Amino acid sequence: MMKLKSLLPLLIAIVGLFCLPLFIHNPYYIHLAETILIYTILLFGLDIVVGYIGQVSLGHAALFGIGSYTAGVLYFHFGWTIWGTIPASIIVTAFFGGILALPALKVIGPYLAMVTLAFGTIAQILINEMTWLTEGPLGIKIPKPELMGVPMTKAEYFWLVSAILIISMVIVDRFVKSQIGRAFEALRDSPIACDCMGVSVYRFKVIAFVISAGFAGLAGCLYAYSEQYISPNTYNNELAVLFLLGIIMGGRKSRLGAVIGAAIIVLLPKLLDDIYLFRIVASIIAIVVVAGAAMALSKQLTTPRRVAIPLAGVVGLAAFSFWLNSISDWRLSIFGFMILLVVYYLQNGIVGFTKSFYQSMVGKAKTTRGEDAEVVDDSISFISAVGKQNTGAELLKVDSLLMQFGGLKALNNVDLSVKRGTIHGLIGPNGSGKSTMMNVLTGIYVPTAGSVLYAGESVVGKTSSDIALSGIARTFQNVQLFGEMTAIQNILVGLHHTFKSNMIEIALHLPRYKKEEAEAHARALALLKFVGLDDLANEEARNLPYGKQRLLEIARALALDPELLLLDEPAAGLTAPDIKELLRIIRKIRDSGITFILIEHHMDVVMSVCDTVSVLDFGQKIAEGKPAEVQANEKVIHAYLGT
Amino acid sequence: MLSIKNLEAGYGKVKVLHGINIDVPKGQVITLIGSNGAGKTTTMRAITGMIKPTGGEVTLSGEKIDGYDSHKIARLGLAHSPEGRRVFTTMSVNDNLLLGAFPRFTGSRPKGDIKEDLEKSLEMFPRLKERRNQLAGTLSGGEQQMLAMARAVMLNPDIILLDEPSMGLAPILVEEVFKIISNLKSQGVTMLLVEQFAAAALNVADYGYVLENGKIATHGPAAKLKDDPAVKAAYLGGASSH
Amino acid sequence: MDMFAQILSSGIAVGMIYAVIAFGFQLTFATSGTLNFGQGEALMLGALVGLTCVDTFGMNYWVMIPVVCLFGMIQGSFVELIGVRPAIKIKSEFGWIMSTIALGIIFKNVAENVWGRDALPFPSPLPMEPMNFLGANILPMEILVVFGALAMMLLVEFFNRKTIYGKAVVATANDRDAAGLMGINTSMVITFSYALSSLTAAFAGVLIAPLTLTGATMGGALGLKAFAVAIIGGLSSGMGIIVGGLILGIVETATGFYISTGYKDVPGLILLLLVLAYKPSGLFGKSAIKKV
Repeated sequence: MMKLKSLLPLLIAIVGLFCLPLFIHNPYYIHLAETILIYTILLFGLDIVVGYIGQVSLGHAALFGIGSYTAGVLYFHFGWTIWGTIPASIIVTAFFGGILALPALKVIGPYLAMVTLAFGTIAQILINEMTWLTEGPLGIKIPKPELMGVPMTKAEYFWLVSAILIISMVIVDRFVKSQIGRAFEALRDSPIACDCMGVSVYRFKVIAFVISAGFAGLAGCLYAYSEQYISPNTYNNELAVLFLLGIIMGGRKSRLGAVIGAAIIVLLPKLLDDIYLFRIVASIIAIVVVAGAAMALSKQLTTPRRVAIPLAGVVGLAAFSFWLNSISDWRLSIFGFMILLVVYYLQNGIVGFTKSFYQSMVGKAKTTRGEDAEVVDDSISFISAVGKQNTGAELLKVDSLLMQFGGLKALNNVDLSVKRGTIHGLIGPNGSGKSTMMNVLTGIYVPTAGSVLYAGESVVGKTSSDIALSGIARTFQNVQLFGEMTAIQNILVGLHHTFKSNMIEIALHLPRYKKEEAEAHARALALLKFVGLDDLANEEARNLPYGKQRLLEIARALALDPELLLLDEPAAGLTAPDIKELLRIIRKIRDSGITFILIEHHMDVVMSVCDTVSVLDFGQKIAEGKPAEVQANEKVIHAYLGT
Repeated sequence: MLSIKNLEAGYGKVKVLHGINIDVPKGQVITLIGSNGAGKTTTMRAITGMIKPTGGEVTLSGEKIDGYDSHKIARLGLAHSPEGRRVFTTMSVNDNLLLGAFPRFTGSRPKGDIKEDLEKSLEMFPRLKERRNQLAGTLSGGEQQMLAMARAVMLNPDIILLDEPSMGLAPILVEEVFKIISNLKSQGVTMLLVEQFAAAALNVADYGYVLENGKIATHGPAAKLKDDPAVKAAYLGGASSH
Repeated sequence: MDMFAQILSSGIAVGMIYAVIAFGFQLTFATSGTLNFGQGEALMLGALVGLTCVDTFGMNYWVMIPVVCLFGMIQGSFVELIGVRPAIKIKSEFGWIMSTIALGIIFKNVAENVWGRDALPFPSPLPMEPMNFLGANILPMEILVVFGALAMMLLVEFFNRKTIYGKAVVATANDRDAAGLMGINTSMVITFSYALSSLTAAFAGVLIAPLTLTGATMGGALGLKAFAVAIIGGLSSGMGIIVGGLILGIVETATGFYISTGYKDVPGLILLLLVLAYKPSGLFGKSAIKKV
């Protein structure tokens, strides 16, 4: 629900946008503005890969080119009109985005960047060489599209592009705020936790690239009609880097950032062509940065050491511009230099920087409950009670499990039987195989031998995501929250499985999607209240105190509606009062029928809450029974103390 | 020789150590015991620069070393056999030992006769001598532990820190390891020993500290601590000390 | 048969160059987990600096080589200091990827402005008449390339295995924390590995320059293909990159001959994508075990 107040600036901007051709008649400036709009659409797409799944893509210039050439080829060889080429460009480019995603599935970071670079290079070569299709280096000329038999005027085409921009903005915004966007961010923050919450990393990586490519293709198509001439060497690696610079400098995860970024990358080369204008702008920037730094220093918001480099950078740049007579030859160095500055000093882009600058000047607004706080609906049963039937029946049966890494037998012939409705503790010295067991049960490792039956079905070989969806949820020894997402968003990722609506329903905000979103939201709040975190719902997970992070992880696992909950050292690092709260929560969950496997070192926790305890040592089970029995067992004492 | 005052340390937001005090006099073997998660390894890492302490001081032979990088601390004569051994798996046993003496090669420590010390080391650890040209990654857990200790000895250090030497080892190997520690002790080597196996540690040490939830719960001469029920409680619960 | 021998010999020469550049990728990746996306530009600068030494300063080719190597070391250290060290400090992978890309762009632009945009010929130290061997025409320079590349890699291997400083580098690559405990200054090791990496790239640059045209654009494609070789062979295997380099060199030369020179670069890139899709650790590399 957006309030009219925040919509107003946006509405004014849109009106201003449409009025542009009425007041400015010089076609050069209209074309410039049009290019900015088109690049913005591309940056919306690029942001999905860079901002939301957090990877570097050097392939978007190529995707842009595929969009342009789809339009060009369909026009040149088959005479298609824009009303056909737009959807065609989107679909064809989206398809290539999917192809790009395939080698990218198993890799991240520099490898993924290289995949995109290779893809971009191959695409450019193919476009250049397949002259029978693309006319190669000759390029293709494309006339302005026709509206009712008459070619569009510059103004009319501008309005078309503007309209498409607005629609794209709304669609992207709706996607990233939906369960799809949350899946992307979860993928970025912790792929392992993402899979274990039932959100398949592979699937969403492909979806991200496909959607991203779709927007790139749309932009490419519009670009072809805007420039009216396309040729292969436009879509080169330099353009790809320029797009990256744009989205980082403007601001990731922000529509406004995409607009600012597009403006920068379109206007900057023009600026660099005019040395006098550049000198003026560089000097103004230098003065502004010096003044800003002086202000920040006087308010003690930063240290001289930290501002030294950016100061030297902008002042040096201004000086450099006065020394040279022509700066257009140094264009690329300026871009490179800007990338360096932005990567280290402007990580959140202009949008992010302005937000935090504003906050530090004005004072941080309270993120705790204010008048906007939502009321928790206590009537919601947020834990789907599994029911007390079958308590005592066997839920998990592990038989002769062997997990071998090279020569090391991490788990050696282990049997385990966990009964429904019980809390089953798993203890043992460091390196005894407890976490390995967890990882086998959740599909992170495939066992070397042995069987694992959950509710009668074998778990071996299933993906972590499928295992999670079949009813086994877990927490991690080293907290694996989605750090950059808020507490409530973390839970919403756990609730991903409750969303059945597809992309069209999200884009159009159809009733089924809105209902699912509202219900999930209410349920997430109830889960947060259960673990005592409802007043921190909108706080980023990484900013939460450690004890609360652990509780959030448990709440997130509950969102999966599990029958079996695996907790990996939930009490580690907790203070005594936190541990009491943890025990209370565990007991309440158990009362609704959920079964637990609990790895712990805190003996007090194990003793007070477990029904059965199994003890591992060197990958083998050495004892099993009620907590008190195990505590007094000689073998166990020897394993821990050595007496 | 090594003095730790009010040491506080942790990982990011998790504070593990809440102000601990340990004293390691020259020529003695001091042991730090406690259950998992108590903070023993965190203590070692904070001393040797693998993590930076957030509070307190660490003094080595009079020099304040808290906040120093690991390599600087090693060059001052403090050798660390880390948790999990951390031998260089792609290099031979011989090379691992030579690297232990790295500061002696570069002149940061008195050179002495490195070759001779290498041969002496291998005499003290016969299992390693048989395997001197084998890749460290192919050694068994026990052999890797020997290697880590021999490597620490190669520094000709003033003090050796041993972090959980018994971890993951079968009882027979644990005995061998502690025999070697006794051997080193009889040669007058100063050691700080962190162990999960309280019994074996208290047998070889002069003095012991019991760490519980990031604080020293109790300390005293090793012989006395052996029979102290507080030690058992720290590991297996029972006497509720919360 | 003649054609086959020709493709083989030209392919081997090209392949060894890729291997030497890929070797540089391995060096920095092993010690620091980072790569220099501007590795191709390091090669390009080496070639151009070498050209200036030989053309403008009249240096003898063989005398020029150590000068270029020294330049490479300085350039590599610069990249590490400016682009990589700050990123490692803030633990940002994105940071060093983007900064090494940015530095590569800057170097290329500087080269364009200093040496111009034209491709320049590089005087060859060896006679340019091809020798005939088993039906193939082999240039003496190509033989020098193969031996030079092998010699460089063997020298570094010797350094790593026989000197204590080399062992310190291998130790840092194996376990950075433990290496620090040995008294090894691991930050300096990383700077050194970048210096060495650019040295090998610059050296590769002056080896290949006489066989092709030297210019600001020579680095881009070479860098990408060397990366392909590093991936195909496996970033942790020295033998792997030689094999990978040879495979790529030969496939590429064959494509250029049988299909067209325009498509020459494509098979290598497709091979890269296939390896990343099915065995990201490379044909010879070892897969890492996930630790949670």
